[in-house]
Amino acid sequence: MKNSRLIAVLLLLCLLSPLAAQGQAESGQQKEIELRWASIWVGNDSKAPAVEALVKEFNTKNAGKIKVVIEPQPDYNAYEQKVRTSLAAGQAPADIFTIKFNPTTATFYQSDLLMDFQGKLDDAWKSTFDAGSLEQSTVDGMLKSLPMETAILPIWYNMDALKSVGVNTIPATVQQMYDTFDKLKAAGIAPTSQMTGDTNAWTSMIWFSHFAVSLGGPNVWDKPFTDPAFVEAAKLIKKMIQEYSTADAVGLGAGGSGGHFLAGRTAVFSNGPWYAGRADLAATPFFDSIKIGGLPAVGEYEDIMISRLQANICAASSKDAAKEQAIVSFLKFLTSPSSIAKIAETSGAMFAIKTDYRPVNNLQKQFYDVNAAASTTAFDLEAALGSEVTLEFAQQLGALALDRISAEEFCALVDRKIEH
Amino acid sequence: MQAVGIRNRWIWSARILFLLPVALLFFFFFIYPFFFTVFTSFTSWRGIGAMKFNGIKNYTKLITDPTFQKALRNNIVWALSQGLIQVPLACLVAMILVRKPFGWRGLRTIYYLPNVISTVALAMVWVAIYNVDGPLNAILSGLFGMEKHNWLGNPDTALFAVIFQTVIYIGYFMIVLLASAMNIPRSLYEAAEIDGASTLVQEINITLPMLRGTLITTMTLAMAYGMRHFEATFLMTGGGPAYATTTMGIDLYLKMDALRYSEASTSGVFLIIMGTLVITLLRKLFGSSDPMSEMAQ
Amino acid sequence: MKHSPTSIIGNTLKWILLISLLALALLPLLWLLVSSLRTNLELQTDPFGWPQKFQWVNYANALAMASLPRLLLNSVFVAVVTVVLNSLVTSMGSFILAREHFKGRDVIYTILTAGVLVPVISFMVPYFSMITRSGLYNTLLALILVYTAVNIPVSIFLVTAFMKSIPKELEEAAIMDGCGFFKRFSMIILPLSRSGIVTAATFCFIYSWNEFVMAMLLTSSVESRTIQLGIKFFSSQFITDYSSMYAAVIITIIPSILGYVFLHDKIIGGLTTGGVKG
Repeated sequence: MKNSRLIAVLLLLCLLSPLAAQGQAESGQQKEIELRWASIWVGNDSKAPAVEALVKEFNTKNAGKIKVVIEPQPDYNAYEQKVRTSLAAGQAPADIFTIKFNPTTATFYQSDLLMDFQGKLDDAWKSTFDAGSLEQSTVDGMLKSLPMETAILPIWYNMDALKSVGVNTIPATVQQMYDTFDKLKAAGIAPTSQMTGDTNAWTSMIWFSHFAVSLGGPNVWDKPFTDPAFVEAAKLIKKMIQEYSTADAVGLGAGGSGGHFLAGRTAVFSNGPWYAGRADLAATPFFDSIKIGGLPAVGEYEDIMISRLQANICAASSKDAAKEQAIVSFLKFLTSPSSIAKIAETSGAMFAIKTDYRPVNNLQKQFYDVNAAASTTAFDLEAALGSEVTLEFAQQLGALALDRISAEEFCALVDRKIEH
Repeated sequence: MQAVGIRNRWIWSARILFLLPVALLFFFFFIYPFFFTVFTSFTSWRGIGAMKFNGIKNYTKLITDPTFQKALRNNIVWALSQGLIQVPLACLVAMILVRKPFGWRGLRTIYYLPNVISTVALAMVWVAIYNVDGPLNAILSGLFGMEKHNWLGNPDTALFAVIFQTVIYIGYFMIVLLASAMNIPRSLYEAAEIDGASTLVQEINITLPMLRGTLITTMTLAMAYGMRHFEATFLMTGGGPAYATTTMGIDLYLKMDALRYSEASTSGVFLIIMGTLVITLLRKLFGSSDPMSEMAQ
Repeated sequence: MKHSPTSIIGNTLKWILLISLLALALLPLLWLLVSSLRTNLELQTDPFGWPQKFQWVNYANALAMASLPRLLLNSVFVAVVTVVLNSLVTSMGSFILAREHFKGRDVIYTILTAGVLVPVISFMVPYFSMITRSGLYNTLLALILVYTAVNIPVSIFLVTAFMKSIPKELEEAAIMDGCGFFKRFSMIILPLSRSGIVTAATFCFIYSWNEFVMAMLLTSSVESRTIQLGIKFFSSQFITDYSSMYAAVIITIIPSILGYVFLHDKIIGGLTTGGVKG
């Protein structure tokens, strides 16, 4: 009878299901402390090999006492969701995890689930960190995340394209910039990559940030968004999108924006150091003639480089003192200058920990040089104001670029999302 | 009398036994989370920290938010498009395929293929197709001399571009209607054939009435999907530009991203209530006295 | 076969429709196939081009995916058990909702099917909470339970509709012949609503196979992860190796196509003459 056959199959499957219930491995009862790291630096990420090697090294050195287990989190958006969901459900996502530090994630500090490093940072350890980054990571006296990966967001110039229209150096003044752009346009090259799509209009958001800090200073983000600096910056970014970019800029995503640059369809781009390590970038004919730098100052503030905290490392607080000590011991190891140098070497990423490492690769070297030379740095819009505001920025940027709203209206709309 | 009493109790035990698994699973994965969601919609909760009671402030904020109003309007457009365009199209194809034309097996499999492929890949293809320098514009400007449009980047065309991309993929509803159409006894058609009725007449007088119940079921399902629509739009436009394509589902998702859990819950509750209302309304409008329950009575 | 002018026009229109829909349906799959043979640079710069050289290395990369066999096995296990569980639970429940009459039946049905409207994403926090507090975090069983439950509204909706369409007379005849409750279910209703159950099972299978969000949320190690997470290893925070990822997607589509073909062709395929006899 079909019914009984079905029931039999189901019973069989139920018997097999304990195989499915793997759960967390029960480590031997030898007081080996197991630390779970929900790591995004796995698989395809450029930092993965070095990080995995370091974890192995640590585990070997601490065999029998501490074991760090990496839980791979390959999809970044899903990872961020996991962090949020678990914290909202009253649990830390793992013993060790990273966050992108900005006003939205800074609210995590209010949770008791995160370990406060304030008491655990001795002077020796503290001195290895860049002081500015530590300060930025401190909220209300709490330091519930340690700055680790940082980034600058400079402007990228395809010098081959510029040279082809007779421009041999990065534009130093605004006038030179427009002249260069006009020449590029005449030669059929869209001068800049711009985009209003995705949740943060990434490329254009960076350009906007350069404009805004030049017009309003590095602390412009403390001002209301209706400030004239922002209105002027909005007018400038609108001009960039309308006159000096590709026809598909409105609604375009980061993939499209990068794709235009990679294909040589645009000459000026913007992105962080991670983009420098891409294989498809290295395969372009103009790879060796990429120069990075800032934009000419459109306002009274000059020489400001946009920089941000890219990844801060957090830990779960625990009542078990031994566990907390184990976490601290691992993090000390991970953030030691020698470890960081190893990661930087093979990935080209930049860190908030001072090391002696200097890249040899031309483009990565430029990143380190520009970072070192920058006298003043400022956050970009996303790092300064959080993801919600950035989303509104991206959504309304499309309307602005299509002339459906004025620059003032644009700024007012974004301002509404900022919590004052 | 006693025998009847025992038998009644026995039937009730059997009924409860059969309903229990469904009820249990549904309770834990729908009822409990729903109450959790309703509860949090009356609080101000940001994921971290305490849940403070907030009254109906979240709801008033939601209803007066022009972005959410736009989302609701978009969802209704989605529900209508999926219910009144996608499903009839699927029905047409099902009616054609049930007569087993040449290659019907292959066609049936291929029409469902896009649903098997991940939605991410599907979205990527269409974003590329709709691009200003993509194949759609190439065809339109090459053959018809039309201007090149930024289909997804223009608030006026974006919504319809995404809807078009969804509506042409009829596979999902087609296989439901096909399964039902295949249950129609051949003898009815043979009799009509003998009477000299043309294919069209047969379809109108036999297939459509027999499919009526399934058609209504599928339309209702399609409208429900329209009301909760999220993925395709989010992948293709992120809800933009300027919130032109946003939906209640996207609104909810973005609020969760921003840790505004209470407000997300409010959107969720509203979505469910609105969805139920709209679907009930549409069903009444398009005449769905359920003939099936009459038949089974 | 008539060849009147109207039928020729009708036929032509019919085939225009079928072929246009066919082309549109094949487009994404063909694009995926072609893209899986290109380099990332080619994909970034010209999404619709033809490969300069066929990059079979992408498939090598995809097949070299860490723990591919285990991930595939997990996906198959989860999908199959989910489908069996969902079909069983749904058939039983739908039988009561479609063929039994009692007060409150319609209320139960409405509540169950209202679940179709629920955006499951909004339930992430309660789901996470439940799964972790019951010790099911990082188990295949967690995925099975979630997937089975999430598909209940649609399955109930479909199967109840199919069960309702079975004529009353058949059941009455069976009762006359002395069929009791269970026999009615297993010998009459279940076989006759087979196509509805299989359709719901197909949707359930495809859902389980492609599901990713809950899998990422509720699992953390290879023992309980599915192939969709494996595919994500070609992406990272900043870079996605699209060409290898597409190769992996093509490889993983094959089982879901096989699953669909098996469920439909083999199980429904027999119904060429329709289900209702006499």
